[in-house]
Amino acid sequence: MKKIFFAIYFVFISIFVSAQIKSNERLVYAASYNMSGLLTHIAQVTMQTETVNTSKKTFLHLSWEAATFSKWDTFFKIRDLYETYVDPTTLRPSLYKRSISEGAYSKTEKYIFSPDGRTINSSSRKKNGAEAKSTFNVSGNTQDIISMIYKLRTVDLGALKPGQSKVFVIVFDQKEYPVSVKMLGRETISAGNLGAKDCFKMSISANTNKLKGTDKNLIWFTNDSRKIPVMVKFSIPVGTGQMLLSTAAGI
Amino acid sequence: MRKILISSASFFALLGVVLTILPFGTIALLPIVLALVLAFFAFRISNLNQRRFTRIILIISAVTLLVVIGKDIFVKDVVAVDKQFEKNKVESKKDDIKDLEGL
Repeated sequence: MKKIFFAIYFVFISIFVSAQIKSNERLVYAASYNMSGLLTHIAQVTMQTETVNTSKKTFLHLSWEAATFSKWDTFFKIRDLYETYVDPTTLRPSLYKRSISEGAYSKTEKYIFSPDGRTINSSSRKKNGAEAKSTFNVSGNTQDIISMIYKLRTVDLGALKPGQSKVFVIVFDQKEYPVSVKMLGRETISAGNLGAKDCFKMSISANTNKLKGTDKNLIWFTNDSRKIPVMVKFSIPVGTGQMLLSTAAGI
Repeated sequence: MRKILISSASFFALLGVVLTILPFGTIALLPIVLALVLAFFAFRISNLNQRRFTRIILIISAVTLLVVIGKDIFVKDVVAVDKQFEKNKVESKKDDIKDLEGL
């Protein structure tokens, strides 16, 4: 009886989780960089979801694409692509890729997760460099940065009180990092074509020099079942900026 | 005093022109407004026969101010279609499917 109860529970949870992240969702953001106190639009960031089928399994393809506006391309062209293929139900990643092209700098990384999620085969290559391969062990619940954000959208954020945190483990640059996401409260944010929305304000922190300051890296999710990330404020070693939702489609 | 004001106004007006040409958006407003203010004071303390240069700085600053505001209102930010990037994405996806088939 206990087993049946747990089976029903897990099926219910699975349906609940998968219902939140839909395929063919497309979120477009305007990314701005802080220059002398003024936010200057530099790039467009697109977050997309798509169903991908192989002969054995169905995956949800999650991607983030950052591209500088054409006026910047002559000076500093950015074409970054972060992709992950996850289980549509659990959002556990199977393949995570990162392709960076920023001015003269370029780098590609690929992480293939073992079916149990405890081993990662990674390969990375910098521009004109040799490919570096490595295999390393991780905890079974390790995510990548993209699937972590989508996973966060499946969490009942309304149940978190201000100051309460949720911890995820992500892999980045061939290392595992615990990432803490803290609830700060609620705010109303102008969310592009969605209009003004009541949002959960969350602070993201990790024990890395890639994020700076306390509660300086923030993300706002709509306070509804879809939990659309509408605004991101970041503070990184090279400066500060923000991403603001312009259009949301397929939600 | 007048010379300092004119030199500073000239510097900021030139910086404003450069930032207006470059895609820095409204950041160009900072030197332009400074140039306008400094040129205005230089204009006020100049004799009638010494106002020609300060008038030129004022005109240049006013024009660049209008250009920056006009660009901000009327020119939309767009991402250029990058055929190579799109091609790379398609090829990368084919490789991904192969990797996923092997899992």
